[in-house]
Amino acid sequence: MRPMSLRHPPVRSYSELIACHECDTLSQIPTLAPGRAARCRCCGSVLLRNPKGGLDRPIALYSAAFILLLLANAFPFLTLEIQGRSEVTNIFGASRALYEAGMGELAVVVFLTTIVAPALLITSSLYVLLAVRLRRPLPALRTLLAWVSQLQPWVMLDVFMLGVLVAFVKLGNMATMHVGISLFAFVGLILVSAAATSAFEPHLLWQQIGYRRGKPHAG
Amino acid sequence: MRARDVGLASCHSCGLLLHLPGAGHTHCPRCGSAMHFRKVNSISTTWAFLLAAMIAYVPANLYPVMTVVSFGKAQSDTIMSGVIYLFLHGDWPLALIVFVASVLVPLLKMCALVYLLISVQRKSHLRKHQRTRLYRIVELVGRWSMVDIFVVALLAALVNVGAIATIEPGVGAIAFTSVVILTIFAATNFDPRLIWDR
Repeated sequence: MRPMSLRHPPVRSYSELIACHECDTLSQIPTLAPGRAARCRCCGSVLLRNPKGGLDRPIALYSAAFILLLLANAFPFLTLEIQGRSEVTNIFGASRALYEAGMGELAVVVFLTTIVAPALLITSSLYVLLAVRLRRPLPALRTLLAWVSQLQPWVMLDVFMLGVLVAFVKLGNMATMHVGISLFAFVGLILVSAAATSAFEPHLLWQQIGYRRGKPHAG
Repeated sequence: MRARDVGLASCHSCGLLLHLPGAGHTHCPRCGSAMHFRKVNSISTTWAFLLAAMIAYVPANLYPVMTVVSFGKAQSDTIMSGVIYLFLHGDWPLALIVFVASVLVPLLKMCALVYLLISVQRKSHLRKHQRTRLYRIVELVGRWSMVDIFVVALLAALVNVGAIATIEPGVGAIAFTSVVILTIFAATNFDPRLIWDR
């Protein structure tokens, strides 16, 4: 791991305190029973959670999500039939159709939010969780963990699913639609990733990872 | 007691609390990201993204998001006419969801951000709890506006059956996506702790 730069004097940290990220009120870090969450006494936002199942539950859920992600992208997603002709598409097909229609920018956005962001979120969460679980200081551990929380708003699997429902209704009058294996995997992926997100608390991981070399003295 | 009042800054990405001397900048010893008391230039950056989103909002609603060409006839749909179509031909619960996601949410989100920015700039002491909750909602719902873009992409992918019908995405779709993305950036650049600063 990269050692901390020594240009700055050792900084004093306060590992027993936490500041609310919405109102900046200081609180003592509480010891939480599994399944409980601590809320800011000033504004009520969640400060810290202690999800049940420790590290093993999010590892199991993210592994399942990873498999479902592969399945969801490997098989036909929807098939449309009009007058004997049929058109099959998968999730990537949505981005490809936009690209082929000359909307490259849109294609990139759809590709990022439906495939790249979910894939990055699932793989980097899994990587970080395994590194902490096996107590290995794997490379880029901190960078990836910092990424995970930034990625969350760009993962739009659930929004895409709503789009599928709307497309169903819009095309229902003029064509017959068939559901592919991927659509079932996709629904499973949405449910499993929601469960994985709620079983994953980055704060607890940061506490276990600790400081870079050149540990600041505790305040 | 609030962290900044006693010279403590919490890391934006990992939450570690550090004593920051003066207005000093340093890097988080735990995750390596830059440490500041508040998000840097939060108000002006949020305004910039928000104004850009407002400008893009006009073409997003005036230009068609897609054109359906079937049997030689072309019919263009804007965001609003797409919702009306769903109300008339689909089931209305779905139409209501789409109306909320693609018409109400972008509009209310921009209004909410304007209100939050102006109240922070005027150092208002009113309704701090409600404003914090408003920000929380704005952060959560923004992504749902993308639903219409996904619909256009799916329709374009499926309805490609040669002479019978084709669906072409329109310019409005690019403008609308810009609105969604710019408002997400605006929301993430806003620092809700400014609501509580004196």
